[in-house]
Amino acid sequence: MDTSRSYLEPSSFSKKMAAAIIIVYAVITLIPISWMVMTSFKNVDSAISYPPEVLFEPSLEGYVNLFTNRSRQSQEYLDSLPPPENWYEELVRSREMVITGPSKFLGRYSNSMIIGFGSTFASVFLGALAAYAFSRFRVPLKDDLLFFILSTRMFPPIAVAVPIFIMYRKLGLGDTHLGMIILYTVVNLSLAVWLLKGFMDEIPKEYEEAAMIDGYSRLQAFFKVVLPQAMTGIAATAIFCMIFSWNEYAFAVLLTQFNAQTAPPFIPTIIGEGGLDWPAIGAGTTLFLLPVMIFTIILRKHLLRGITFGAVRK
Amino acid sequence: MSVKKKFKGLSDKAVGWLFIGPTVLLLLAINIYPLVYAIKMSFTNFYANKIGREPQFVGLKNYIKVLNKEAIWEKMQVTASFMFWTLLLQAIIGLGLALLLNRKFKGNELLTTLIVLPMMLSPAVVGVFWTYLYNPQVGLFNYVVNFFYDLGSFDMIGSSILAPWAIVIVDTWMWTPFTMLICLAGLRSVPNYLYEAAEVDRASKWQQFIYITLPSVLPFLLLALLFRGIENFKMFDMVVELTSGGPGSATELASINLKREAFEKWKTGYSSAFAVILFVTIFGFGNVYVKVMNKIKER
Repeated sequence: MDTSRSYLEPSSFSKKMAAAIIIVYAVITLIPISWMVMTSFKNVDSAISYPPEVLFEPSLEGYVNLFTNRSRQSQEYLDSLPPPENWYEELVRSREMVITGPSKFLGRYSNSMIIGFGSTFASVFLGALAAYAFSRFRVPLKDDLLFFILSTRMFPPIAVAVPIFIMYRKLGLGDTHLGMIILYTVVNLSLAVWLLKGFMDEIPKEYEEAAMIDGYSRLQAFFKVVLPQAMTGIAATAIFCMIFSWNEYAFAVLLTQFNAQTAPPFIPTIIGEGGLDWPAIGAGTTLFLLPVMIFTIILRKHLLRGITFGAVRK
Repeated sequence: MSVKKKFKGLSDKAVGWLFIGPTVLLLLAINIYPLVYAIKMSFTNFYANKIGREPQFVGLKNYIKVLNKEAIWEKMQVTASFMFWTLLLQAIIGLGLALLLNRKFKGNELLTTLIVLPMMLSPAVVGVFWTYLYNPQVGLFNYVVNFFYDLGSFDMIGSSILAPWAIVIVDTWMWTPFTMLICLAGLRSVPNYLYEAAEVDRASKWQQFIYITLPSVLPFLLLALLFRGIENFKMFDMVVELTSGGPGSATELASINLKREAFEKWKTGYSSAFAVILFVTIFGFGNVYVKVMNKIKER
């Protein structure tokens, strides 16, 4: 046997040891997330039992509480009502409460969607244009401009929040979807330009030059030849922008209140009677984290590449 | 000068400006303008909630106030120790995990993805659900700790000694995968022939680790720590939702204090001065760090 390759190809024992430690770490690191998902399927009582219940009777109380507003009523009043029409009304009645209407969760969630997709589209589109220009043309002060674009990411959000707050108040953009889309677009732009420039650099110039010799204009060549080639990079960049907008909290909590507030500032406010309603918070958290987790697992190849990209480039 | 090529449509120069223009304009309007505005405000006694009152120029008064305030130095200390412990733990655990993952065992990629999950989550939402895990009566964290070592009842968030560790643990849980991924990229970039040559020279595994692996992964680790350092210096969302800076001001990081001054007390002038000081601090430390990093890289 050739043992000289041992460092390049670790022994099977050391591989097994490494795998065992990594599995233990993965299990530990996933416990908090799984616990939150489990809590979302508990009822209010089993969520606050001690020792914590690992096995429990599943309940949709958390989800019902997440999507509805309820008020407590006297037993006599409840008796005077017609029988509950559906399972969730029955569940709420069994807690001596009645549903008074839908909660704000759906609205906040769809705000997250609108602002997330809107800003992702805008920052990837503008970022792709700028990245292409930086990648192909001789731009005066190119390195300074690129550094300027990157340095805008170092600002603490709170530092610029007051001026943006005042500016938005004057422009009528405060607490609007458009205002938040513009803001997140700008925050993501620096990342988008830097990531996409890396991907564009990898596409051979000859492609669009050939297209231009065939009679395409520069713009046509960009849209019909370069953009389709850069699709992988665009997808990776889009995921990063989407995750940022989806998760952003500081600007959302400072600049929005009623109309354009996204889910992250809202989830902490889901308060039940006598403290926090853990199953409802668990349900909100689960529904909110679900898209990101699915995205991460499906698109893991692009994502991992995107994360390490900046590091490898430098 | 290159020969001017004749193609259809706009010239390359026009296309270049057309493509870069919107990005630069947006950054100027939403990033640079507010920053300049903040710097301007920092020299005035402006209160953003008092509309109609003309702000007056007060010179360096706000800066002097910030720098002479003892509470500010306490916040800076809280921030510094938060950064020190999170970066230290994330460097050690992240590098360790990367070394293990680099052994390319079966299921490697799936496990990497699972480990990466926490850093994809919303920090604010993470902060909320950790308040549940840390709950002194029913929290899973307290239960697990007591299961292994009976401490009795303890309150991670309510105790001013434990709360700083509560935020360090959550941040480390969330962001260690980041250091891990970047270190992993570094490890994969080491060319195999270096190890082959070392084997030929009969270098021990330990020597190979010290003289080949560590020096090649170090620049990557330092870069990861730079990114994490900048982020944790600005840390706001997760800690606000987890401890809201408490108890007292045990976990009141600089950003949280800044938010209180700016959006609760509405001292716009004063808080702008504080923001500028924070900004200059990040830039200064960042620059020095990058210089040191480049020196290490050159060696």
